[in-house]
Amino acid sequence: MTNHSLPPAWADRLLGWLCPPQLLEELIGDLHEQFADDVVRVGEQKARQRYVLEVLKFCRPYFLKRRAADLTRQVAHPVEDTYHQSTSYPPFFLLHPDMLRNYLKIAFRTLWRSKGYTAINVVGLSVAFCVCTFLFLMVYRQLTFDSFHRDGERIFQTYRFSNYPDKPKRTAGMPMPFTPALKTEFPEIEAAARLLSSGSLIEYKGRLFEKALRYTDADFLTVFSFPMIRGDRAVALRDLSSIVLSETTAKAIFGTENPIGKTLLLGTEGNQQRYNVTGIMADAPDNSSIDFDVLIRIENSPTYKESKDQWDAFSHPVFLKLAPGVDQTSLENRLKTFTQKYFTSDIDGLKKKGAKPDERGDLYAIRLQKLANVHFDTDIAGSGAPVAIVYALSGIGIFILLIACINFINLSIARSFTRAREVGVRKSLGALKKQLFMQIWGESTLICFVGFLVGSLLAYLLVPVFNAQFNAKINLIYLLKPGVIVGILAMFILVTLVAGGYPSWQMAKFNTVEVLKGKVAIKRPGFLRNSLIVTQFTISCLLTCCTIFAIQQVNFLRTMPLGFEKEQVISIPVGNKYNGRQLLQRLRNKLANDPTILAISGSGVNLGRGKDGSVSRSTMGFTYKEKEISTDWLLVDYDYLKTLNIKLLAGREFSPAYPSDSLDRVIITESMAKMIGEKDPVGQFFQTDSAGTKYQIIGLIPDYHLYSLQNEKAPITMHLSNTESISYIFVRVTPQSLNSSMDKLKGIWSEIAPGADFIASFLDKNIDALYRNEESISRVFSFASGIAILLSCLGLFAVALMVIEQRTKEIGVRKVLGASIPGIVLLLSQDFVKLVLIALAIASPLAWFFMQKWLDSYSYRITISLWVFVGVGASAILIALATVSFHSIKAALMNPVKSLRSE
Amino acid sequence: MGRAYLGEFEELVLLTVAVLEGDAYGVAIASELKQRTNRTISLSGVHIALYRLEEKGFVQSELGGATTTRGGRRKRLFTMTTAGKQTLGEMREVRNQLWESIPNPSLT
Repeated sequence: MTNHSLPPAWADRLLGWLCPPQLLEELIGDLHEQFADDVVRVGEQKARQRYVLEVLKFCRPYFLKRRAADLTRQVAHPVEDTYHQSTSYPPFFLLHPDMLRNYLKIAFRTLWRSKGYTAINVVGLSVAFCVCTFLFLMVYRQLTFDSFHRDGERIFQTYRFSNYPDKPKRTAGMPMPFTPALKTEFPEIEAAARLLSSGSLIEYKGRLFEKALRYTDADFLTVFSFPMIRGDRAVALRDLSSIVLSETTAKAIFGTENPIGKTLLLGTEGNQQRYNVTGIMADAPDNSSIDFDVLIRIENSPTYKESKDQWDAFSHPVFLKLAPGVDQTSLENRLKTFTQKYFTSDIDGLKKKGAKPDERGDLYAIRLQKLANVHFDTDIAGSGAPVAIVYALSGIGIFILLIACINFINLSIARSFTRAREVGVRKSLGALKKQLFMQIWGESTLICFVGFLVGSLLAYLLVPVFNAQFNAKINLIYLLKPGVIVGILAMFILVTLVAGGYPSWQMAKFNTVEVLKGKVAIKRPGFLRNSLIVTQFTISCLLTCCTIFAIQQVNFLRTMPLGFEKEQVISIPVGNKYNGRQLLQRLRNKLANDPTILAISGSGVNLGRGKDGSVSRSTMGFTYKEKEISTDWLLVDYDYLKTLNIKLLAGREFSPAYPSDSLDRVIITESMAKMIGEKDPVGQFFQTDSAGTKYQIIGLIPDYHLYSLQNEKAPITMHLSNTESISYIFVRVTPQSLNSSMDKLKGIWSEIAPGADFIASFLDKNIDALYRNEESISRVFSFASGIAILLSCLGLFAVALMVIEQRTKEIGVRKVLGASIPGIVLLLSQDFVKLVLIALAIASPLAWFFMQKWLDSYSYRITISLWVFVGVGASAILIALATVSFHSIKAALMNPVKSLRSE
Repeated sequence: MGRAYLGEFEELVLLTVAVLEGDAYGVAIASELKQRTNRTISLSGVHIALYRLEEKGFVQSELGGATTTRGGRRKRLFTMTTAGKQTLGEMREVRNQLWESIPNPSLT
């Protein structure tokens, strides 16, 4: 056969990989011979298949083992290769499976012998891994907010920038005619959607549902890419009578029926409108800033008609999608003339206040915020998390991981002396530095791996608890994304490198002769260890100080006098089903003769955050005696002051005895009086616009906090109306009947408002709910600092134990020479106390700096007290002492005869 | 048995080495076995058996001269050692004895 075909070359290469080189020639020879035979007998194609199969069959332990041994021999003795190649079977292997088995055996023996240290390491690492998983998942959730929309980088929210003389202000509310004008004048805006939030009652076949309603434009479906489950995205909101439902809403209303084309009734009784279901959209994920149950066209909004040409009524956010390639800044610049043209009254108002243009030359401007940033922009989003929290959380996560790593390093270094002899023996038997490093590092990796496994298990088990405790909404599913998995692996390898690499490198460096003689000394003993302990305690003290300040601030906000009495008041959200005013009247009639009910009133604005979770605000701006006035415009009912126990400073409260009270009489707060510049405002008149009602001030009350304490007390004007709807009912009860009256109200509620939800809550609970954000921050902080301290102490405990073990003999000698027990305890403890003191000295200024920054965002804040640092320092020292003294006292009490005889 | 254990396949390979007498190498053994047993025989299996037999001392091997048929690669030729011969003989003895002790002659 001269012109014979050849088998696939890649198969030969594979074989070269699989088999020991000294066997390769004969094996390939045999294979080729068989192949040549096969070509003749069964044809070339079949022969090739058989050939590949044969080669694959060489993947056997017999060959692989020998191949691996060869490779390691080459790495270990590259120079001696010629010698080994002459003998057909190599005499010994360094990374031979047997050797690996030996490493593993030794590893398990050492780990088992020092169960305590192994346990400390595993516990520390697994707790750290678990906590880090939680914290990083929280961060991940925050960072991926709104990231699921297609073309997200082209989606923006508009906001108004006003450069007030005191400080610039940014607000998201836009006037109704803004969006249509914008779309006609700027063709580069691909789509723009207004989003007016409301709630609505939906009726289908006699059943009623209360759902979150969003009035919007047809462009909503273009701007955002929530998946459309049924219906056509292009036409779903084309008609005014179209309605799009979220998946859950559709399920709740229609069950298994196909909702498309069905008719729903929206609105309160007697005022219902018909809508045709044209689309079903997937629910907004929980990391979406925009949520909805029901979407209809904004033209259906009850206020649309009057506000559609009003450029000074700001009611809703607007989202834009720009055409590809449109630059944000250049569009913002072109918006300047647009702003000059339409927002004249705002600009005039600002000028009157003496506002100056900012560095971009804007006195007043419409600007764009990227959708990705909206969640972190608390000015614009209203809710959302400050980005600082995300940094804080990731920082804490890294800190905790660092503390666990430090424990690991310290323990490994301290333990390395006990294994010095093994290293010496191995070295004298020919082990290489690289090999020793791999062995010891492998052992650390083993511990890390166990810690990692236990940590993952812990995380898996504790997720529900964590979510419930910190209201975190995290989900371990996120961990299964490829990017995240790579991240976790990278983190794991980094941890093993940091925590295991350094000690292994140190050990591999031991001098064989000295080690075997029993002398091991590292230059400047313990310097590294001490600085690591200082780092740990610095972190712990820092976290603790921050926690204490955060808790103090939250408590301060909670207990601060609000200007009204929040105790014993029940707040009932009315909902959309019934008219609030009628319900209030019915409730008054029912409870008129009840001795446990002290007062009943209503309002348009809830105090604190009730169970309905909504926050509303209505403000009014007008000119009074050449002055620009802006005030909260609060709708109240009779007995509002009595119910909240607000004392009148002058004048009188609204009373049914004066019929005109419900038309043009108002009660104002002190700061409102100051703003209009009247010393004695009662009896004065003002007009909100030149042609409108002339309001007379009939009462003056002290300032009180209508909204969160994060803001200053704003001027408030209260008015009474027979037509505007009341959204909340307040009931003051006697202190003795706190619990029973809640039940009683519930009973009465079901009589006067059948079918409506009763979601009342006490006002003091509502106020607490306002600080939920702060509270959850302070809780995460306390949790993290607790873990940090715990881990630090765990490490200190182990290090102290080891140091004292090494000094057993010294203690024996000291005792024999007459040292007292307290003296010895002091001697052993003072080193550690010194470290904690240094840590404290580093941590305090840092904590002071960070907390000063955080507290600056509050109008009402605590002052940072030096005593906190003293307290934290004292307790840190005490904890450290307690940890160390457990061992030091034991060592000091030991009989010197025992310790001195030990050799 | 005292000496190293010999598996069924190893025994077959060892016998084949004896049959081929000086011309025993991987492919030859494999094709011989294929013919005689009607089993699928893989080259890798034959080779492993051969190397094992060599480690146990039942065969010895040396590389033959250069060839023309297989890309010029040399063959490793195996021959049976005395230890191999002896073990085979002993095994045969044991088997024969067992056969003869079967009480029911109809089995043969």
